[in-house]
Amino acid sequence: CTNAHAGCHVLSLSNLFDRVIQHSARMHGISNDLHSEFEQYFLPSRNQIGRVSRNCHTSTILTPNGKENAQKMAREELTEVILKLLVAWRDPLWHFHHSMAHYDDFNNFSSNKALEMSDMVHELRKGVEKVAEKMQVLGITSNTVNSLTSPEALLPSESAEWRLMKDYDLLYCFRRDSNKVQNYLKILKCRIVPEHGC
Amino acid sequence: FFTPHIMGKRYSPPGKPTLTRCRSPEKETFTCWWEPGSDGGLPTTHALYYRKESSERVYECPDYHTAGENSCFFNKNDTSIWVNYNITVVATNTLGSAFSDPVDVDVVYIVKPNPPEKQTVTIMEDKGWPFLRVSWEPPQKADTRSGWITLIYELRVKLEEENEWEMHLAGHQKTFNIFSLRSGGKYLVEVRCKPDHGFWSEWSSTSYIKVPDYFHREKSVWIL
Repeated sequence: CTNAHAGCHVLSLSNLFDRVIQHSARMHGISNDLHSEFEQYFLPSRNQIGRVSRNCHTSTILTPNGKENAQKMAREELTEVILKLLVAWRDPLWHFHHSMAHYDDFNNFSSNKALEMSDMVHELRKGVEKVAEKMQVLGITSNTVNSLTSPEALLPSESAEWRLMKDYDLLYCFRRDSNKVQNYLKILKCRIVPEHGC
Repeated sequence: FFTPHIMGKRYSPPGKPTLTRCRSPEKETFTCWWEPGSDGGLPTTHALYYRKESSERVYECPDYHTAGENSCFFNKNDTSIWVNYNITVVATNTLGSAFSDPVDVDVVYIVKPNPPEKQTVTIMEDKGWPFLRVSWEPPQKADTRSGWITLIYELRVKLEEENEWEMHLAGHQKTFNIFSLRSGGKYLVEVRCKPDHGFWSEWSSTSYIKVPDYFHREKSVWIL
């Protein structure tokens, strides 16, 4: 949809932000639910979880771990962090969805959730790219968000490390990363359009 | 084998302390509390140690005073989120030490805000019928303006003489109207808040408000 397209309604930046924030909240909600379902599923045989190594494949992406750090970051950088996280989860979530089929007594419902997460991370990335483009067009950010030209450049160097991770650990990491994405999006929105519900 | 006895009293190493809870009011600082076990009849000290995820270094609690007895306060500089803190309390007396079970904490998941503040309840009128307008502000500590924390609100309302509260979810709004009031009724109103992935705050202090006797006016018109 372009501006010239008849009947095409152009969304305002704050509107776009609200959409991606809502989307990220839903995505995190699903990962949260699935994580608790997994805990219930595995808890009787605790050794399957064991001591979770919790070394996420995204730990090489430097992310602000507090309010002030997130606020200090340039808008371009924060946008890029969000996109990096989303790109890094594309393949692992797809793989995760497929491996869900191997848990016989794990219900369909959960398997569907895994598929939904996988789709959502993809859609959310497209949404955030739209926000990023809009910010550039409006001159709010400079044209330095790399992801828009080559998303693969954003993959962390050890990007295949997730293949070695257990499903539970993947889910644990995704729950955290999707929460980060949601928070960073809110911080970014309130910096750029503070008059809209901040 | 020697066990220390003084005047028939038996001394022992301290009992195992218990980490009871950790709470962050605003996702920027947090506090953990513990309950000491028995002191074994001897002066016993407690220390809290923590190790952050993917680091081998063990640190001692940065502040035992700010949050009162048997607590450890982590200020902004000591608080990271999306990082697990593995926390243990150690009780020590001259005869030995006892370790609590360790607890893993990620600050994101222990947020329980303070109650909403500056709550006001006013009587408004719509076509001769009164309604209550309840307004409030987020707890001062929670920085909602920056987007770092988002709160949803819930109200509860009750007629003074009744037992059951009526609940209303207000979402992100900071004002809420309540209709269908009893003429001359005295109402109690309280508000609480919750972050996206955390716990409900305690209820705010109670506001009392008396609805005017609007029914008498109505009735007198009807009798005429």
